Amino acid sequence: MIAALVVSAAVLYAAFAGAGPLPALGPAFNPVTGAWTMAADAAIGSQTLRLAGLEKPVNVTLEADGTSHIVAQTDHDLFLATGYMHARFRLFQMDLLRRQGEGRLSEVVGKAALDSDRFELQLGLLRTAQAEWNAASQRSRDAGVAYAQGVNDRISEAETNHQLPAMFALLGYQPKPWTPIDSLIVKGDMTQTLNFTDTPLVMALLEKSLGADLTSQWFTTLPPNPQSPYDPGPYPPAVAPAPIAAVSHVTDSEAVAAADVYQRLASLPAGLIATGGDSNNWAVAGSRSTSGGALMAGDPHLHLTLPAIWYQLTWDSPSYHVSGVSIPGTPAILIGHNQHISWSLTDAQNQQTFFYLEHEDSAHPGQYLWKGAWKSYSTVSYDIPVLGGATDHLAVKISVHGPVITERGQTTSVWWAGNIPSQDLDVLLGVDQAGNYQQFRDALRGWYSPTHNFVYADDQGNIGLISAGYYPQVAAGQPWLPMPGTGEDDVVGTIPFDSIPQVYNPPSGIIWSANQRQVTADYPYYIGTASNFFDPGYRANEIHRALSQSSKLSAADMAALQTDTRDFLASEIVPILLQVIPSSPSKDLLTNWDYRMEINSPAATIWWTFWQSYLAATFDSYWHSRGVTVSRSELNDALGQDLEAWTLGDPSNAAFTYGGSSNTAFDVMRTAFASTLSSLTKQLGSDPSTWTWGTVHQRVIENLAQVKGLDYGPRPDRGDANTPLAAPDFPSSHGPSWRMVVDWGAGTFQAIYPGGQSENPASTWYSDRVDAWFNGKYAAMLSADAAAKSGGAKTWSLQP
Amino acid sequence: MIVFGALILALIVSLAGVLAGAWWAPFVAGLAIGFIQPRARVAVPAGAMVGLLAWALPLAAVQVRYGAGSAAESLAAIMGFGHQGAIPVVLTCAVGLLLGLTGAWFGSAARSLAYPAISR
Repeated sequence: MIAALVVSAAVLYAAFAGAGPLPALGPAFNPVTGAWTMAADAAIGSQTLRLAGLEKPVNVTLEADGTSHIVAQTDHDLFLATGYMHARFRLFQMDLLRRQGEGRLSEVVGKAALDSDRFELQLGLLRTAQAEWNAASQRSRDAGVAYAQGVNDRISEAETNHQLPAMFALLGYQPKPWTPIDSLIVKGDMTQTLNFTDTPLVMALLEKSLGADLTSQWFTTLPPNPQSPYDPGPYPPAVAPAPIAAVSHVTDSEAVAAADVYQRLASLPAGLIATGGDSNNWAVAGSRSTSGGALMAGDPHLHLTLPAIWYQLTWDSPSYHVSGVSIPGTPAILIGHNQHISWSLTDAQNQQTFFYLEHEDSAHPGQYLWKGAWKSYSTVSYDIPVLGGATDHLAVKISVHGPVITERGQTTSVWWAGNIPSQDLDVLLGVDQAGNYQQFRDALRGWYSPTHNFVYADDQGNIGLISAGYYPQVAAGQPWLPMPGTGEDDVVGTIPFDSIPQVYNPPSGIIWSANQRQVTADYPYYIGTASNFFDPGYRANEIHRALSQSSKLSAADMAALQTDTRDFLASEIVPILLQVIPSSPSKDLLTNWDYRMEINSPAATIWWTFWQSYLAATFDSYWHSRGVTVSRSELNDALGQDLEAWTLGDPSNAAFTYGGSSNTAFDVMRTAFASTLSSLTKQLGSDPSTWTWGTVHQRVIENLAQVKGLDYGPRPDRGDANTPLAAPDFPSSHGPSWRMVVDWGAGTFQAIYPGGQSENPASTWYSDRVDAWFNGKYAAMLSADAAAKSGGAKTWSLQP
Repeated sequence: MIVFGALILALIVSLAGVLAGAWWAPFVAGLAIGFIQPRARVAVPAGAMVGLLAWALPLAAVQVRYGAGSAAESLAAIMGFGHQGAIPVVLTCAVGLLLGLTGAWFGSAARSLAYPAISR
């Protein structure tokens, strides 16, 4: 009896609660209601569905690749159907995204996510989303409510029919109902990923360890290297002086605070804070295109995941006729085209995060000095449920600047533009409806964060680019460092909308952005430093170069440029390198190289390894001798700009003379090249012709739930951090998340993203587009009518 | 014949439970088999068989209707077994079997306590 009791109890425990890494085996593997339902979920056919809340029937056509075409008779039904379709194919992804922003990941995955949850609740995405919803426009409210209804229709249906995504069964929880605030949280996640930065903390640590002299010389406000700003001016005069000041002394307590926050942010999961941008977009006026109509290309670069961040669909309703990509969880098409205009975006990269050192005194506990008076912090408390552990209690102190982010060393709060309640959803809906540049531009007036370079082209041959968003201006001080919180250095407003970077129908007939600084040194406002805010500019320079070469350009040229791997930096540096290094087979490879980072190119490997060696040979001695607490490689973008500028125009810069040597750039290049050959020989063998880029550079598309077995790759891939086809890191998991090419003259719209429409790994739509994306292929963005006639299409009739 | 009929009934009840989401139904059915059937060496294999079938038949239906191969590979990947799709299939069948088996074993043991003279 005892044996039977013990064994039965063990089996039932494993079945109810799981064991070790195994989930609760009973509910998880029940072949009817557990994870096996992913097989049924993957089988898509035509069907009729009844959805609560619909006003009239809605028709949905699913192309053979899962692209959804929603045709609704009312706008309300359009948003409801969008919510339903998002949830039908991406419910687990949506739930993860809202849990991340709301600080509720620990509830389902345990204490491993507690640091992330605490950080998010401290930062305040949830508070901001609640404030945004309270102030939302009627259009946004209508869209948000209808969308949430559609999501909840799907949740109810899935629960009734045992069709919840398998990950819910495996993790042992069910999704709570969706709310419009959840949609704003998802948008907040993206804002955080794209523009919450720790750069002022890095600068403070550099100032403290590397020294004020070298920090100010090497990490400059304006880029030291050649750039291609898309808005060359002239600029309207500034309404307030730009707050540029010399680097000041960072105290020990300030450095402790900076180090604490910096280390804490560094330990968070990748992707929670912005670490540089890699996106491209450009447009060509009708006067310069072979078709006679405007051309537009856009490829926003993000962390590539399966499922992807994008869900492709078209909208047809009384007010919306849009085709493009949406973020599951949000009722808007973020990038795409309608009947008259097309648009895409890149991150504008201006500084939107500022840290303030609060002045406290033991005589005034719980208070801080601000504008000559002692103010009390407000406090918000949260309970964070933790799977398998005790509920965590978190109290967040908030000053006038924002949430307190650390109390070690000196209490530091953070002012972040993403915490300003904004009407970004309403802006996107306005963009979706815009029919010309004026309407497009007017819609973007309300866009706050993340600041984006919105490229534009229309059916009249016009092109434009506007870097919409909030450009915080401080009253005084040094915004690239943590600033005193006593009031003098507070954010006092933003750059007037008419003065932000923008161009419309420039004489050149071309516009481009690739996260570079958008304006020249003459721009009268502070928008961020060259160090770790803006991209070094190599992709922008290459795109500008390529677009400037031909008098007439075609859609095929746009596609070719999106997948081009020419490294602009290499094209500048390698000719100089060839002049200073001795003959060798490796030199011969570089001599005959076209600067393209292709899989089969050994020269690409030699170049990339050389550049890393050159950076190390120039800067590592300083890092080691001064005990710099920030990884040098983290700063390669900024240091690389210096090294590029010195190599091109100042080879005798003092940076090369560490330790009293008389070295020039050319001496260091020779040393670095010898080191390159040595390390590559050790790593890849003695024959340089076999050192192909594909052997060292791979790309992986990671499963969003971090299930390694559901990743795509790694597989050899081309490109690097500096090429239009961006592929930074080893292996690279970041890159073009969506490629779109529009030719208004020919009336063609093409696009692709690396992933698939479904999050279900058993579905053919999980990763069916990845191979085509790797191969530089595109799919036509069809109208709903054309989609219905396309091969393999399924029709869903959604009935009230 | 009565025993066979009882087993069929147990299987039907177990299947109905599993179909309704009551994945533990084979344990209950096994419990009943073990308690009713006086011979443990009959009850325990019978309970195991009922449990196995109650989970394996719906899985077979999944395979017939939709094809379970891709789902099996995905589940194996999620569990950290690469793409060894057979593992989740075996695991699923094993769960059903163990539920029925332990239910019957426990039922038999309980019966032996309640009716020691007539249990074998």
